[in-house]
Amino acid sequence: MKLPIWRSVDELQKPPDPCRELGPEAPEELSRRGILQLLGASAAMATLGGCLKPPDEKILPYTRQPPEITPGNPLHYATCSTLDGRATGLLVTASEGRPTKIEGSPEHPSSRGAIGVLEQAELMRLYDPQRLKVVQYQNQPRSWRDFLGATVANARILRDRGGEGLRFLMEPSSSPLIGHLRQRLIEAYPKARFSSWAAMPLQQIHDGSQLAFGGAYETRIDLSKATVLCSLDADLLSAMPGTVPNMKAWAAKRDPAIGPMARLYAVETNLTVTGMNADHRLRVKPTDVQRFGFALLGRLASQVPLLARYAPLAQKFALSPQNARFADVLAKDLARAGRGALVAVGPRQPPALHAAAHAINSALNSDCAAQAKPVLHDLDSGPRALRQLAEEMRAGRVDTLVITAWNPAYGAPADLNFGKALSQIPHSVYRTLYADETADRAGWVVPALHPLESWGDARAHDGTVTFQQPLISPLYAGAGEAEVLAAFLGEGDRTTYTQLREFWKSTAQDDLTWEKWIADGFIDGTATRPETPLVRHDAIFSEAMKAAPAETIPGFEINIVPDYRVWDGRFANVAWLQELPDPVTKLTWENGALMSPATAAALGVTQGDVVNLGRRGPPATAPAIIAPGHADGCVTVSMGYGRRGAGEGLCRGLGFDTATLRHEQGHWFGPGLTVTPLGRKERIAQTQEHHSMEGRTIAVSTTLRKLKQTQEELAEHRGPPLSYHAPQEYPGHKWGMAIDLSRCTGCNACMVACQAENNVPVVGKERVWRSREMHWLRVDRYFIGELENPGVVFQPLMCVHCEYAPCEYVCPVNATVHSDEGLNEMVYNRCVGTRYCSNNCPYKVRRFNFFSYTSDYTDVEKMAFNPDVTVRSRGVMEKCTYCVQRIERARIRTRVQGREMRDGDVVTACQQACPADAIVFGDLNDPRARVTTSSADERRYDLLHELGTRPRTAYLARVTNPNPELA
Amino acid sequence: MAENAAIYALRGTALIEGQQDDGTLNKTLLDFIWQRARPGWLFLLAIGLALTGLLFAAITVTLAIGIGMWGNNIPVAWAFGIINFVWWIGIGHAGTLISAILLLFQQKWRTSINRFAEAMTLFAVLQAALFPVLHTGRPWFAIYWLFPYPSTLKIWPQFKSPLMWDVFAVSTYFITSLLFWYLGLLPDLAALRDSSSSRRSRIVYGIFALGWRGSARHWHHYKIAYLLLAGLATPLVLSVHTIVSWDFALSIVPGWHTTIFPPYFVAGAVFSGFAMVLTLIIPARRFMHFKHVVTLRHLDSMAKVMLCTGLIVAYGYIMEHFAAWYSGNVYEQHVFFFTRPRGPMAWAYYLQMFCNVLVPQVFWLRWARRNIAVLWIGSVLVNVGMWFERFNIIVTSLHQDFIPSNWAMYYPTWVDLSLLAGTIGFFGTLFLLFLKFVPAIALSEIKELRHEMAEGALDYQPTEMEGAKP
Repeated sequence: MKLPIWRSVDELQKPPDPCRELGPEAPEELSRRGILQLLGASAAMATLGGCLKPPDEKILPYTRQPPEITPGNPLHYATCSTLDGRATGLLVTASEGRPTKIEGSPEHPSSRGAIGVLEQAELMRLYDPQRLKVVQYQNQPRSWRDFLGATVANARILRDRGGEGLRFLMEPSSSPLIGHLRQRLIEAYPKARFSSWAAMPLQQIHDGSQLAFGGAYETRIDLSKATVLCSLDADLLSAMPGTVPNMKAWAAKRDPAIGPMARLYAVETNLTVTGMNADHRLRVKPTDVQRFGFALLGRLASQVPLLARYAPLAQKFALSPQNARFADVLAKDLARAGRGALVAVGPRQPPALHAAAHAINSALNSDCAAQAKPVLHDLDSGPRALRQLAEEMRAGRVDTLVITAWNPAYGAPADLNFGKALSQIPHSVYRTLYADETADRAGWVVPALHPLESWGDARAHDGTVTFQQPLISPLYAGAGEAEVLAAFLGEGDRTTYTQLREFWKSTAQDDLTWEKWIADGFIDGTATRPETPLVRHDAIFSEAMKAAPAETIPGFEINIVPDYRVWDGRFANVAWLQELPDPVTKLTWENGALMSPATAAALGVTQGDVVNLGRRGPPATAPAIIAPGHADGCVTVSMGYGRRGAGEGLCRGLGFDTATLRHEQGHWFGPGLTVTPLGRKERIAQTQEHHSMEGRTIAVSTTLRKLKQTQEELAEHRGPPLSYHAPQEYPGHKWGMAIDLSRCTGCNACMVACQAENNVPVVGKERVWRSREMHWLRVDRYFIGELENPGVVFQPLMCVHCEYAPCEYVCPVNATVHSDEGLNEMVYNRCVGTRYCSNNCPYKVRRFNFFSYTSDYTDVEKMAFNPDVTVRSRGVMEKCTYCVQRIERARIRTRVQGREMRDGDVVTACQQACPADAIVFGDLNDPRARVTTSSADERRYDLLHELGTRPRTAYLARVTNPNPELA
Repeated sequence: MAENAAIYALRGTALIEGQQDDGTLNKTLLDFIWQRARPGWLFLLAIGLALTGLLFAAITVTLAIGIGMWGNNIPVAWAFGIINFVWWIGIGHAGTLISAILLLFQQKWRTSINRFAEAMTLFAVLQAALFPVLHTGRPWFAIYWLFPYPSTLKIWPQFKSPLMWDVFAVSTYFITSLLFWYLGLLPDLAALRDSSSSRRSRIVYGIFALGWRGSARHWHHYKIAYLLLAGLATPLVLSVHTIVSWDFALSIVPGWHTTIFPPYFVAGAVFSGFAMVLTLIIPARRFMHFKHVVTLRHLDSMAKVMLCTGLIVAYGYIMEHFAAWYSGNVYEQHVFFFTRPRGPMAWAYYLQMFCNVLVPQVFWLRWARRNIAVLWIGSVLVNVGMWFERFNIIVTSLHQDFIPSNWAMYYPTWVDLSLLAGTIGFFGTLFLLFLKFVPAIALSEIKELRHEMAEGALDYQPTEMEGAKP
């Protein structure tokens, strides 16, 4: 529960605002005015005589309405968000001047209209009331001018020394503007040094290509040409940065109607989203992934002449009979696939394995992997670079340290002692969105501007230059990264916009070109060209032969992964993400120690038992999570929890920190872990606790071979059920949805989209534990088969809009009714909350406001609300509406245009976000609509068809493509 | 004929013990009211009031903060609220059955206990009536939106919903029970008025006695009205719990969707109602000294009714399981053969079976029906068992339904437990007040019975209290 925020004693003692109790319509007008006031106030604050940074960009008051704005009609702007230096193109919706929804930019190569989980959550970060609001020096509030003054004074001394002792620790960046600034800074301070740090570095990828090609390259993966895909710890199909285009290409490869299906083999430790989608999955200890890769390379030697020299690897890296069989079959399948084969290696794996994959991909002449020059300025952004800096800091060779990287005091491995070293630096500057662990130890702390508040540029994963434009003037005082750097050039008064415009003037002379770029959000055709560097097989072979054939240190192994919800921790203060269930474990609000059922049994622990995880340093205390499909003898933990930052109230104290488990050597995994059960239990908040389908026809999964048979079996799960009643006619539109389980990868992007679109509240850990989460759309995940290495099926499930809806006839007050277009509608105003409808809903997709979840929202948080969707009050039932507000908006739009609604006019939020195009929505009366053709598919079935509810959402059975040789 | 049959039924029994006349009956049965409150009564009242305080605290918390203070969740959207509602409504059934149906069947043994049972009905229905409103998310609307009033919005309640029918069933039931109870009280209130020693109590009882003078005309009207109300109340015994059962039977939830629910709910209601009457009357007859009018003969009859209705309930259980197996419906089978007997709440299932099926079997034995301790413990266990029956029907069915990903556990909160304990306390408080201020035994009817027996003079043999064996 958040504490109430109040400005005066009167306000605190004032009885609650009656508008809240009146229901959702009343505040509509009020809130808009409030927002305008807020916008005005923030503008006024920004202009207050010199104490804060003056804005150079004009803010238009609504007294004179800007021509492009019609109140009530949202506007869309192309911009981008950048994570680990790579941009994802976004299309952001702004309602009356406030961003309310983030979607993927349809043209941008890194999103293609779809969107991942983290990018959508940027909206919550923008409106986070816990953001750092003012410049601080040693925890005292200061002004931007004070900072500039101090910096200029310091810079003068530094410049005299040629930049001796000046160090920059940067967020990994591909921004041309930042690159330019860095060049200018090096010219001004020749002895200054730049390094960058990210908890999830690409360093091993670069090292691997260095080994394989003698130069730094990044692999561009194109799954649209893949037929056999081997993932060695590469999580290609989770909706994380850089993976969205993969998912789209992969999904097309899983639809048996489109063409030959691809096949995916996954070799990994913990079950990942990619592993859940694999046709064959091998679970191995983290250090064994590399050995498996070498063994695979050794086996390919006999199949592919170009790889013949690697034959000794097969002998050196002996596999267990079971794993050997897997490797044999995989090698044969890869060789057979030839150009359609791809071996992908995850960024956590050592360089030699990356090099081995390059050897295989190039020998097979794979069309799916191309090499291109890296887009980042610093190739080395891992713990190695950070150690060099920390050593310099400890040796007193650093006088001024400017940090724009995210929270190194938290993210750095514990043995670097970075935080302690930082507090000894005489002059330190840290730019951050929150008062976090690093802000605690830094001198000057400058609030960062949120990406939706600031200008910028960056390159996408393929090098495409992408622009970031603000949608709202800064809510709090803050500075862009470029502005902090410019301060050291004595140009602190030049805003990012001025710098950006000037920098790009050389390319875009005229304003028209510039405006087109900004409107598009990127410059088309700026992707870096793929190259075909020669593979240095000898170097790879000798490096591979250096690896030990077996782990020498006994005991458990630790496996550290970035979190699917909070990444490395930078999204930890986002409530949407905290409550988003992990796609694999369905865990919310914390991380845990994932272990296989066999390992847990050997340790004598069960779900929720607290264990101590020790690896040289002080132990981390974590609840055990029994994870089917996890490798034995090792424990997986995710980063980003156990936060201690003063300013991050939401995430402080949730979960545990993995810093003590990470070392510079073995940053991601390694042996030497001790696991000690503590004999107590913790409550685990999972959104799904039962993982078997109990033999029921719920999420249907079949294999390509059995597809025909399954289609016949599914015949009794579709079609009109027997009924005495004459079927209801829907002469106008007949809305329906089709969800293709074969395409769905279970990534959760749709859940966040739904939450953002429909103002779905967050309830907190205790209430998730009580099974009161509010997600209208959930992704169910079922395990099939053996517990140790199960098959997995997912099923996105929201209200299926039954034609004969069991919820409707039991409501005593007519609060849930049917529309003439077949929508099952919820009348919030009429609902008294008997919850009878939920009891009678066989899909249990209805959600109840057990409390008033939104009444304690601050004014800033309220700005995130979608004005088209009612904010529900306490005691009211709610559920998926098929995005009725989007249907109505499309209806109005098409009526204004004087035409009929066509397929594609209505796109639901979940459909819009889905990177795999698994969700299709439309009018079932339109014979050419995609939803109509999907619904007519032979794989179609209705969930719980035998109940006769006639759901409007059709499911298409999932098809996998296992290799018969491994059956 | 009927008269003879009734008297025949009395043969070999003692419905009134000892040598009694109107004066002694007046004295012994009204004594408790005119006495100063005894410490035991005050002690129980204090407990009752404390629990009532807890009840109102829990209600305040629920209204002020939200229904989330209860343990309900999705999928278990109904839990303690509806369990308590059904339980209390069920308990109420004994009163109506005793007053109305047994009256129509001229079962003379009902006379001594009918007032008691009617009061119990009234107070139990009062407890029950709290929950349908309280359990909603927005009680401030639910309290009147469920009634068909001519709203300017022209929105009517949804008459297809069983919850709507509940509103009518329960309110009819409450009103009828209240009228029936009050009508029966009139002659006794007049008796109280007439034997009052203080002016104040004479006025108070006089007002409530509605000018009853005991004239033949009064008695004539009284008898007709009483019979008519009995006739009106009789179908209610069947209808109320039938409609309550439809809340479940008309849904599609596995474990709820069964046609056997109406008869089995009615039998269960009578079963629990009689258990509650026994639980209350056994201590009351001892401490209020009316063992001579509530004799072992009465207790024996009530035990027999419990045994009979218990067997119907047991049959209901068997048929539910049979129908689940015979239907071949996997969801039903999961509820009856996995969730309930083997799921995480299996203990509640076995407790229910023990209390409702095994315990009543002891009443096949005559000594058990006449052993006060066995009777009392048995009746308490039946009450516990019937609460858990509703727990199993509601919570256990809901927590594992069609789609396994929905499945979740249910845990009650302190508010849930306070509401249960609080209604028991509130019920107890009302009952204690009833015992203190109103004749707990229908005095006029007892006198009438005594006259009948004396006039009929058939087999009426005064016996010693303990020597009640024929």
